[in-house]
Formats: sequence, C-alpha cells, structure tokens
Amino acid sequence: MVMTLDEATRRATARQDLCSQVKQLLVDRLSLDVDPQAIGDDQPLFGRGLELDSIDTLELAMAVEDTFGVTVTDDDTQSLLSLNRLVDHIEGARA
Amino acid sequence: MTGQPLSAPARAVLTADEIARLLPHRHPFFLLDRITALEPGASAEALKNVTASDGVLAGHFPGRMLYPGVLLVECVAQLAAVIYGSAAAQSSTGDLVADVADRVGYLAEIRQAKFMKPVFPGDQVVFRAQSGPRLGGLISVNGQASVGRELVMTARLAVTELDQP
Repeated sequence: MVMTLDEATRRATARQDLCSQVKQLLVDRLSLDVDPQAIGDDQPLFGRGLELDSIDTLELAMAVEDTFGVTVTDDDTQSLLSLNRLVDHIEGARA
Repeated sequence: MTGQPLSAPARAVLTADEIARLLPHRHPFFLLDRITALEPGASAEALKNVTASDGVLAGHFPGRMLYPGVLLVECVAQLAAVIYGSAAAQSSTGDLVADVADRVGYLAEIRQAKFMKPVFPGDQVVFRAQSGPRLGGLISVNGQASVGRELVMTARLAVTELDQP
C-alpha cells in the first residue's frame, strides 16, 4: 500500500512528538542533568550513551508503563537499547 | 478504666517464627512482628510494635527516643522479601512458608522516601507493600507505614531476589 504524502507527514510528526515525550520522560523520571532535546534518537541509553544503569532500567520501564500504559518485560529488553527502539516498542504496543 | 476499648491486633497470617523461615535476618535486625495480610508475589501487610526496650532506641536518641526512619524503610524491604519469598515457597511446596531465606537478595534502590511523622515507643506501625514491575532481576516495591490513621512514611524501593542461591 502506498502512503500519501499527507499520511506520511502525519505519521512522521506523531513519531517526532512521541520521541520528544519519551526524552522528557527520561530526563524527568531519571533526574538526568541533560537537555531532553540534546538526546539523539539513536543514542544508546546505556553504557557510552546516556550511561544509565540496570536500576534506571526498572525506573524507565515503570515510567513507560505509567505514562503510556505499555509494559516492558525481560522479553523486551532490546527495546531499551536506544530511544528509537523504545519508541518502536511503544508504537508497536499501542498499534 | 476509661477511654475507648482497645481493638485486638489483626490476626496473624504469618507469625514471627514463620517470617523467620522466609527471611535470613535475625536479632537485632529481624524487624517485623506479624504478617496480617499476604498475597504471595503481589502484596502484604505487617505489624511492628515499637518498644522502648529495642536496643536501637538507646542510642536514637538518649532522652528523645524515636524509631529511625531508615529502619522503617528496612521494614518495607523485609516485607518485600516476605512477598516474593512466600511466592517461592508456594510454588515449590504449596505452602506460604518454607525455608527459602537464601533467596533474599539485596536492597538496590531507595527512591522517594518520605517521612511524615516520627514514630515513638508504644506505637504500633502497620506496613503495607505492593510489588510492581520486575525487570532484569530487579523488583520494584511501593511501601508505606502508618500509625493509627496517620501515614508516617512512604517509599519506593528496588530489591533483588536470588534465583539460584
């Protein structure tokens, strides 16, 4: 199915809005000392990226559940590797 | 005798001796007196009677005894261990209690602990804890403590459980 330009634009805007919401959520719930807009969409959340640890993972999973009603379990831990993957997970669960 | 008749303490779902089979903690760090409600793996309620004979009150503080807030948090952590220990006992034996104390892991995080009122000798503290999401071996726990109708402490914790001790 070919997507119309309007539909593609609408989806891209919704995706960008969701990315911004998740970045703000990360900063607020994990008390990060960074500007949410400075977080790259493909930036790793752990290790050399935002340097989150496993305890932050649990908090992030709770924040995503509280805010978006989407659960993150041990089967979904790949979705916590980057912001884009996390947003993919949220979008997939809401679809 | 004057005043309101005292209500009887809530009936024990688990006695102190039974709690001791679920926890590795012992005197002076065995803190819960009785479990009064229990849904294994999900939630629990416990009683603790604070008494002037508790050795910790001799030093906290001389002439102004009050129960340490950090020990209220520890009570919630021990109650969390009862929640998941009883779930492990139930899945392995069918009973709420078994010798599963070696499964108790570590306190990994204390988040948003608030202490609203001091707790004094003579107070009976009711603790309630609910287990939340689990991820990567970590278990989130919401806990609160109250004396009478007054909330005295709330805290969110992360704890760990050892699957293969």
